Amino acid sequence: QSTFNWKMTNAYGPGSPFYVEGPGSPTDFCAKVAAMSDGRLNIQHFAAGELIPALEGFDAVRSGAIEMNAANAYFWAGRIPAAQYFTTVPFGMNFAGMNAWLYHGGGMALWDELYAPLGLKALPMGNTGVQMTGWFREPITGVADLDGLKMRIPGLAGKVYAALGVDVTLLPGGEIFPALERGVIDAAEFVGPYQDRRLGLHNAAKYYYTTGWHEPSNTTELLIGSAAWDSLPADLKAIVETAAMACNVESYTWSEANNAAALKDLVDNEGVIADVLPDDVIAELKAVTDRVLEEGAAADPATRKVHDAFMAFKAEYKGWADISEKPLFSLPG
Amino acid sequence: MTPVPFTEILALCMIGAFFLMLLGGIPVAICLGATGLIFGYFGFGPMLFSLLPSRIYGVVTNYTLLALPLFIFMGIMLEKSRIAEDLIEVIGLAMGGIRGGMALAIILVGVLMGAASGVVGATVVTMGLIALGPVINRGYDAGVACGVICASGTLGQIIPPSLVLILLADIMGESVGTLFAAALIPGLMLSLLFVGYILALGILKPHLVPAIPAQERALTSGKQLAVKLVKVVLPPIALIVLVLGSIIGGVAAPTEAASMGALGSLVLALLAGRLDLSILTAAVRGAFITSAMVFLILIFAQPFGLAFRGLGGERLVQDAFSLVPGGLNGQILFLMVVLFVLGFFLEWIEISYIALPLFLPIFQSAGVDMAWLAILVGLNLQTSFLTPPFGWALFFLKGVAPPSIRTIDIYRGVLPFIAIQLLGVVLVFFYPSLALWLPEAIGW
Amino acid sequence: MLRFLNTAAHGASTLVRIIGQLSAWLGLALVMVVSFNVLGRYLAGIGSVALQETEWHLMAAGALLGMSYGLNQGGEVRVDIFYEKMSVRVQAFVDVVSTLLLLVVALVIAWLSIDYVQNSYSINEGSPDPGGLGYRYLLKAVLPVAFILLGLQAFAMFAHALTNLIRPVSPPSS
Ligand code: NA
Ligand code: NA
Repeated sequence: QSTFNWKMTNAYGPGSPFYVEGPGSPTDFCAKVAAMSDGRLNIQHFAAGELIPALEGFDAVRSGAIEMNAANAYFWAGRIPAAQYFTTVPFGMNFAGMNAWLYHGGGMALWDELYAPLGLKALPMGNTGVQMTGWFREPITGVADLDGLKMRIPGLAGKVYAALGVDVTLLPGGEIFPALERGVIDAAEFVGPYQDRRLGLHNAAKYYYTTGWHEPSNTTELLIGSAAWDSLPADLKAIVETAAMACNVESYTWSEANNAAALKDLVDNEGVIADVLPDDVIAELKAVTDRVLEEGAAADPATRKVHDAFMAFKAEYKGWADISEKPLFSLPG
Repeated sequence: MTPVPFTEILALCMIGAFFLMLLGGIPVAICLGATGLIFGYFGFGPMLFSLLPSRIYGVVTNYTLLALPLFIFMGIMLEKSRIAEDLIEVIGLAMGGIRGGMALAIILVGVLMGAASGVVGATVVTMGLIALGPVINRGYDAGVACGVICASGTLGQIIPPSLVLILLADIMGESVGTLFAAALIPGLMLSLLFVGYILALGILKPHLVPAIPAQERALTSGKQLAVKLVKVVLPPIALIVLVLGSIIGGVAAPTEAASMGALGSLVLALLAGRLDLSILTAAVRGAFITSAMVFLILIFAQPFGLAFRGLGGERLVQDAFSLVPGGLNGQILFLMVVLFVLGFFLEWIEISYIALPLFLPIFQSAGVDMAWLAILVGLNLQTSFLTPPFGWALFFLKGVAPPSIRTIDIYRGVLPFIAIQLLGVVLVFFYPSLALWLPEAIGW
Repeated sequence: MLRFLNTAAHGASTLVRIIGQLSAWLGLALVMVVSFNVLGRYLAGIGSVALQETEWHLMAAGALLGMSYGLNQGGEVRVDIFYEKMSVRVQAFVDVVSTLLLLVVALVIAWLSIDYVQNSYSINEGSPDPGGLGYRYLLKAVLPVAFILLGLQAFAMFAHALTNLIRPVSPPSS
């Protein structure tokens, strides 16, 4: 029986909980695979910057120099526009719905179809759960408050906000705190209570809005080179798939538990005001999102295909969730 | 005892070859690039090198490095438009009979620029351009002049905002704000220690840091001096205030703020009637060359860093750590020694990535305060910018220094400051509240 | 032979100088673009993702194209503790070795980066941010171009150093 020594790079820096370290994280995935395979598949993990810079994992795996990379598929939106749909979609689906689509609604098959021509394969390996709208220095009482608001928000959501008059800035993670603290920006989006508290954002802005309309869940992508994958015997393939699934559940539940505790701490001890975005703001954001997504689908046939499949599944899933989970959460406490 | 693997021996050979070539007079960038490619190739074949373009692309597109070309532009514009020419001299005059006055001015500017910038090298290059020539012309010892510029220039790494602290926050799981607050007092303390050293030099070895002679000072009346101060000192100070003010006033994020300085230097030159096409062209080309030389070293450090990683250089560190006798303080001391030694041949980002993840789990489980440890690490990394032969600050200064400045002058000059910085590490080690009081007090 | 070498070296050096003098203005453009983005956001609340991305595009192109020009203008940094004590001939020998190594390293990296650009071109890589700059392979293509220019500059310096080694009087060239 042959032994495989692989390398995994990561889009996130050393020490980041969830993204690098901790239960269900990429390093935990490597440990799980090593244990389950009894050392036959050893994956050496490199956080961002240790071997290559944060967002270079896609090319590294494609070149064959690295076998695996942990990131979010939407980082590759400049290379494969449809990749966005495999991380999160604004007004898309939560953890349950997203994974129902991926595992059982044809999502994974579409993902494979999209990546195979590039010599790549992907598996979901983690999820942050629902994220937060972000931190605001001033309360948001209506759509008018968004006009001229300076917000750090990358990606598709940035384009949606921009249509409502938000001035979108793309500061790197490390500059969010000093910029928000001094009022260079009025608002910033990051992840959720646990990760945001770690960045100290509550010391820079007090209004913490929800919900994560822009990221109702967020999938961690395990990217694998097709050649490397094909070289694995069936049992090791099963181990990789199972470990990725285990991490998907474990990281999600870890996030839920830690976000719950962190939010309580932020509200009880740090004077953070957690609130829901006003209805008219949500309505506007939804209208623009529909338009933006439609534009993207119209521009690229592959995106069209994934978009339509995602939306069809979502419509059906929403019908079910509306009479199951939604009333459940409305039950008395 | 397990034998040391072949690749780790190669990693050691690579470091050895690098030093030999460096001391042999081969330019720094070439030493880094050639040893990295050659030893890396023998260690793991051609495959891993296909990652090299990714690393280089990562360096040149690294947003946080934007402050480098911008501050360099500001410094060169001040130099070429001759605005900086009289600056240090007038400060020297204003300091009167205080020996070391111009060096004190350099420290002050270093603190202010450090509070405006967080990038390695930006302050050193700017100060080297503006101040080195003038203070040597006024009879300062070349070593002292180089030392004070390098040391003051690296203060920006511990005085927030700072790239080093941002990276450490990420690696050590502390909030950026906590580390910024924790670093402020140690950073200012270090600045005061520098001031103390210069004042002591002025008393003990006055010929190294001469004041401007009394006869010459007498030639300028108090009123004339006041006018000169306004005309010469105000513009560059205004630039620093512009950069700092744009951060504090919420106009620009720390990296962007450098652009305010660069734009301001153009406006100043224009107002002074010194901005014609030939000066602009000279400044543009000069800034381009200086930035490029900084980037050349950063770019050529990539094959070296990749090879060190690929050869398992981090395992050398790990193996050494396993030999350390027990005791938490012993382990912290060992971490400090490792950081210091790695600083002789690696850049700080590589050091952070290689050394810290190995040690952190131990310290975390022992309940060590991570903010305190981060400041100790930050002070230590700052020292590594100064340690010969491979100290970034030394190379950056060498890159802009007049030809009369020899490498040995720079080495000689930084030694006392390295000692002072180590003293800073010791003080924070024995008095953790130097780092921990402020974040506690303001609730960060 | 040496004469032919020097003619070729002179041509290479001239090309590097001209390209460098032109690309030097990228630095001024960088100052203007970042300032515009900062002031535009603060004073008028305007901003564009493309202009923000332009910032680091300019820095990248400048940093890469500047390498060869910087060396062309004598900007290399070395530890001269022993070098300055060497005879002119030994210095020339060190320079021959240095420039030869530089030539090899530059060409190896140029060669490595061709695949990198090809990968980007084959999928028409653009910005992951909507509204960002497209054609990212053009930016990446600066990598091989810059390292080939660096190779040319290394060649010019090599010819100069070799001439000094063989005929220790420096010829009146660039
Ligand atoms: Na700083
Ligand atoms: Na060093």
